[in-house]
Amino acid sequence: MTALLEIEDLKVTFNTRYGQVTALDGVSLHVNAGETLGVVGESGCGKSITALATMGLIPMPPGRIAGGSIRLSGEELVGANPSRLRALRGADIAMIFQEPMTSLNPVFTVGDQIAEAIMLHQKVSPDQAFKDAVALLDRVGIPSPDARARDYPHQLSGGMRQRVMIAMAVSCRPKVLIADEPTTALDVTVQAQIFDLLNEIQRDFGAAIILITHDMGAISEMADRVAVMYAGRVIEEAGADDVLDHPQHPYSRGLIDCIPALGREDHALKEIPGVVPPLHLLGDGCAFADRCEHANDRCRREKPLLAAHGHHPAACHGVEEGRI
Amino acid sequence: MSSSYLLRRVGYGLLLMLGVVVLNFLLIRLAPGDPAVVIAGEMGGATEEMLESIREEYGLNKPVLVQLWIYVAGVAQGNLGESFFFNQPVAKLIADRIGPTILLVVTAQLMSIALGVFLGVLAARKPNGVMSAFVSVFATIGYAVPVFWTGIMLIILFASSFPIFPVEGMQSVKLRDAAWYVQTADVLHHLILPAFTLAIIYLAQYARLSRASMLEVLGSDYIRTARAKGAPEKSVLFKHALRNAALPILTVAGLQFGNLISGALLVETVFNWPGMGRLAFDSILRRDYPTIMGVLFFASAMVVVANILTDISYRWADPRLRGKS
Amino acid sequence: MTDTPDYKAESPALEAWRMFRRNIPALCGVAMLTVIVLATLYGTFFYSGDPFDVVWAPHEPPGATPEFPLGTDYLGRNIVAGMLTGGGPTLAVGAAAAAITMVIGISLGALAGYYGGWVDNLLMRITEFFQVLPALLFAMVLVTLFSPSLWTIAIAIGVVSWPQTARLTRAEFLKIKELEYVTAARAIGARNKRIIWKVILPNAMPPLIVSATLTIGVAILFEAGLSFLGLGDPNVMSWGLMIGANREYILDAWWPVTFPGLAIFFTVFAVSLIGDGLNDAFNPKLRER
Repeated sequence: MTALLEIEDLKVTFNTRYGQVTALDGVSLHVNAGETLGVVGESGCGKSITALATMGLIPMPPGRIAGGSIRLSGEELVGANPSRLRALRGADIAMIFQEPMTSLNPVFTVGDQIAEAIMLHQKVSPDQAFKDAVALLDRVGIPSPDARARDYPHQLSGGMRQRVMIAMAVSCRPKVLIADEPTTALDVTVQAQIFDLLNEIQRDFGAAIILITHDMGAISEMADRVAVMYAGRVIEEAGADDVLDHPQHPYSRGLIDCIPALGREDHALKEIPGVVPPLHLLGDGCAFADRCEHANDRCRREKPLLAAHGHHPAACHGVEEGRI
Repeated sequence: MSSSYLLRRVGYGLLLMLGVVVLNFLLIRLAPGDPAVVIAGEMGGATEEMLESIREEYGLNKPVLVQLWIYVAGVAQGNLGESFFFNQPVAKLIADRIGPTILLVVTAQLMSIALGVFLGVLAARKPNGVMSAFVSVFATIGYAVPVFWTGIMLIILFASSFPIFPVEGMQSVKLRDAAWYVQTADVLHHLILPAFTLAIIYLAQYARLSRASMLEVLGSDYIRTARAKGAPEKSVLFKHALRNAALPILTVAGLQFGNLISGALLVETVFNWPGMGRLAFDSILRRDYPTIMGVLFFASAMVVVANILTDISYRWADPRLRGKS
Repeated sequence: MTDTPDYKAESPALEAWRMFRRNIPALCGVAMLTVIVLATLYGTFFYSGDPFDVVWAPHEPPGATPEFPLGTDYLGRNIVAGMLTGGGPTLAVGAAAAAITMVIGISLGALAGYYGGWVDNLLMRITEFFQVLPALLFAMVLVTLFSPSLWTIAIAIGVVSWPQTARLTRAEFLKIKELEYVTAARAIGARNKRIIWKVILPNAMPPLIVSATLTIGVAILFEAGLSFLGLGDPNVMSWGLMIGANREYILDAWWPVTFPGLAIFFTVFAVSLIGDGLNDAFNPKLRER
């Protein structure tokens, strides 16, 4: 059986002032209907680029899809003509962005913005679209949706705006919903509400969700499967419980150690030393080698490939050699 | 929009106009020489009788504050004085000429904004493209060309080589008795060159400004959201982006209005356009101060009105400002 | 970013100069302006004689007589002589008017931005008032009332152009006065006067220098407009006056108005190229756009 969305060996490059850099270096992912895939990693590791590439929203130039394929229900999206991509965007694939504060257009009412999304893909009258928008606002838990639909974004709180974004994204019952750090900019209590809402939406609409986050805590709440990304590659992929309970790659372990947990002996939060290397400085070896306490000469010389060595697939020489 | 805001805005505008009246009063008194002679106009060769009647009317023998009161009260009643050169009340002189000026200035303003913004949006689609380069070169040239010289060059071009536009006046004498629509078409035909001359400087500036403003807006998150909805590029540019990019353009359009009137002064003189600029020029050459002061008053009033309209449209365009003061 | 500079940090002025030096349009502007200024200063060595003198038949086309390469005007006056002598007053008035504009604008803007409160309120109301007056018309009135001379023209242009400079200065002061080094200066007991002129103003200079450059261009156009209308000093030849005097005859002869117009255009064009270059040099981040 083929997956609903399949990304295979995706390569994206950008022209920068340091020359051409490879932002995605052979990323492969898939997600099935009704499933939630968590994509996790620090900022700058290629999560958002993957999402934008799937939406067909990589700015070109300077960006370029240099290879690979993205298939939605078997239909190839890489190189598809722009009007076909536009018809799919918002209808079959929708996206929720990180910054609800700036992601809504300040000069239109939220009702109009949702209604616009509906009218772009369905033949309905403006009046009907606005009524549908109000119903959606009600569905995402906004009180007195009729009045709120006539509000401008600046009149709503951050959590409300993110609910509006979700209403807009699900307005055409997309098959795939990409949520790019949907709760990062919100309060902790609001975060939990938004996750609950996404889970409900998924139950009701049967959408596949790709949840992009740097937060392993969010993954443990939401995801069925997890792909860990680092420096433009997928370095570990498995069921959410497998990754959380038996992380293979030292980077995944580092991310999990960052989750604040109750009852842990040392209350001090751990963090991974160093930062994601800039893309133009990537060498031949493992991109994580400089930050890895287990790195040896081979790690610095040769790029590890994603392969099942231990519990589940990971791209690490240490795991392959049984050192870790 | 709250009506109290509008009321306050209009009240402030009236206060500014009062300021202009006081300034006019002060200018006449600050000028060297006898104010009565100044008012009569040095070129008028005023008789002693005339001077005496001026002193009587303006109360020039009374204390300065009383004089000021008489002057302000007069203006408030629509009395801007008498032009001794034209032998007519100043208010009447201006009433006859303010229409053509408003027609010219408003046409030029709309023309420059519409074309300028259109060019700017096209340029913003490709920040390093040919159109962008053209817009920035054109803007620099537009800024540097003296507007009266552009007018003259266009007259030379269109009077002899391509006689398709009239180069002088506002109406053809031979059409004085034609039907109203023929006359309207005739006026519009006469309007093209002067309006274009006046528009071209500001057109260039609006093009550069809207390019910059669009580039900034196009990088924002809500544009990405619009694209993610599947909005076509035309709607992204002209609906989602332009509405936001229009805010700084509106601000500048309001501030530029005074300069536009200054430019109209020169353009009217070049094209013999029968407006207030032409009147200002004629009355300044004759040192007809009551007329000059009247023109200054009405030109300032036009700027005040334009500023109020700008404020209103700004609030219309940016919902974040509504309900605030 | 990562290519960390191992040389010593340069002063901002030096850095701006390095940027400016690489800006080809701006260098063209400097070259053009240099040629124009030299021509107006020393041109009369080659073309002596009063530009008001009638020296030849009227409307001699350019190139027809070697003595008068740009032809003669409607009275038979030498256009080259007018071009060379007519630039001086235009440039002088432009520079003087820009200086007056900057002095008024910076003083009022600095006071408004630094002191805030009622001072700011009052000064900004005055600024708004002056922005309501159509500048050229107001300048025309001033020049007519106080008899035209180069000084009254320069003062009139200055009096009508300062509001924008005042607003810019105020905005800069509002921004800078919140910065740490201003607080530090206050903490060591510096007086307001010292903080305004010695601490804040030097840091507000870059945008003000750009604005001053552009103000020169505007002032030159202003002077040209006034002279064109016949409101300049009638005893001094200027480019605007040449255009104004010949404008009744443009359909008979194009050259007496075209050349002075080109001279004004190239002067202002050069100035604005320099202004844009300075702007880029002071804001290197904008260039990456």
